[in-house]
Amino acid sequence: MKYKVKNITKCYGDLKVLEGITIDFDPNRTTCILGPSGCGKTTLLNIIGGITEKDSGEIIGFQDEDMSFVFQDDRLIEWKNVYDNLSFVLKGKMDRKQIENTIDKHLKLANLKQYKYYYPNNLSGGMRQRINILRAFAYSSKLLIMDEPFKSLDVNNKQIVTEIFKSLRIREKRTCILVTHDIQEALDLGDKIVILTEKPAKVKRVIENTSIASRKPENRIMLGDLIKRELKI
Amino acid sequence: MRKFILKNRKLSIVSKIIIIMVWMLLSKIIDNEIIFPTVKSTFASLIDTIKEPNFLNTIKYSLIRSIIGFLISLSLAMLTGILSSISKIIYNIMVPILKFLSSVPTMAIIILALIWLSNELAPMFVGFIMVFPILYETVLNGILDVDKDIVDMAQLYKVDKITIIKDIYLPSIFLNLSLVFTSTLGINLKMVIAGEALAQPKYGIGSNLQLQKTYLNTSGVFAWIIIILLIAKLFNYLINGVKYLMDVDRWK
Repeated sequence: MKYKVKNITKCYGDLKVLEGITIDFDPNRTTCILGPSGCGKTTLLNIIGGITEKDSGEIIGFQDEDMSFVFQDDRLIEWKNVYDNLSFVLKGKMDRKQIENTIDKHLKLANLKQYKYYYPNNLSGGMRQRINILRAFAYSSKLLIMDEPFKSLDVNNKQIVTEIFKSLRIREKRTCILVTHDIQEALDLGDKIVILTEKPAKVKRVIENTSIASRKPENRIMLGDLIKRELKI
Repeated sequence: MRKFILKNRKLSIVSKIIIIMVWMLLSKIIDNEIIFPTVKSTFASLIDTIKEPNFLNTIKYSLIRSIIGFLISLSLAMLTGILSSISKIIYNIMVPILKFLSSVPTMAIIILALIWLSNELAPMFVGFIMVFPILYETVLNGILDVDKDIVDMAQLYKVDKITIIKDIYLPSIFLNLSLVFTSTLGINLKMVIAGEALAQPKYGIGSNLQLQKTYLNTSGVFAWIIIILLIAKLFNYLINGVKYLMDVDRWK
């Protein structure tokens, strides 16, 4: 399945947020959307997810597709424990036994099994964010959309959560869209990096990050510098 | 925290002792049973009141009126609150009704209720006009307080509407309601008794209070006040017990 957005434009009143955004999302790879804070990345994701209407343009392949989301804020339901928070999104998709198995399996993968019946209020920010990511992975879908998932985490937690993401990513093939403003994160996780401009957001440059050469430290530094120049940091 | 609770309880006992001492002192200074009865005569009246053959009936009818009235207020508040959150038209229809209930003096509405309704229904209606606006606002706020991001999350994950209502909206409504439950039940009981005092149904705490007033039996009025306080306390314990059993605060 090919996923694509074509010529997406969106305005809020007089303010143009997105202008002619065209991106190809390669199947089973991670496409990083990199852009300055507040340039309209979340709006683009909401359009892809179908909760915000676009003004013009085309969305190809995303309709009717189940999608998993990792949000910037964890969006856990405070009065539900970890298990119920996860089963909340799984209810319509599988029976009770399957839900239990899926949740147990994922909690084990993230080393959170003993927190199964904890309420979000009793978990640290890092743990809550891990549950947010687990919710996305436990929900079976071909698409995983992540909106700055590591933004609110400290360095330590960021590393733990990134590792969990990577290991889950290896186990399950999914097409990922990762929105971030962090260059290192994009280089670390993205197979393809799409750089957006300031408001109104336009696609400025697309960088392939898959070749083995680009994994070398010196090439990474070079790529990082290139992205920095594009973002004018 | 626990220490704080204990300290609080001690202070509350001290306060009760002071009230009783002031009462004894005042009754001694005033020295007139009709204007200000002594503690002793009040307790004698209390025992007489309890011994009366219709004592339990009196309490039973007041409680039934209070509870039925409250349940009607609660269900109507739920219904109108939910409808108001869905429909702008209903929300706007409700605005003048609530304005009316909150700005017209309660006594004026009570008098109308006495004219229009039977003496059994009027006390319930009196409770309703006080409690309904509070419950309605609480239900409406419970719905409007729901975090939009959580609802977006549910929609992105294609969670069906019934589950969203059952797992997000209803808990939010009940959480808000649980905060005003004790106070509204108390207000409702007080207003039902006030309504009874005016409407004079056959059995009712309010009717009895009025009767004691007619006989200038002030110690009887005091005795009924003590009984009402005990009933209110019992209500409190019951609600806290239910909250504890249902463990509603477990996630906090």
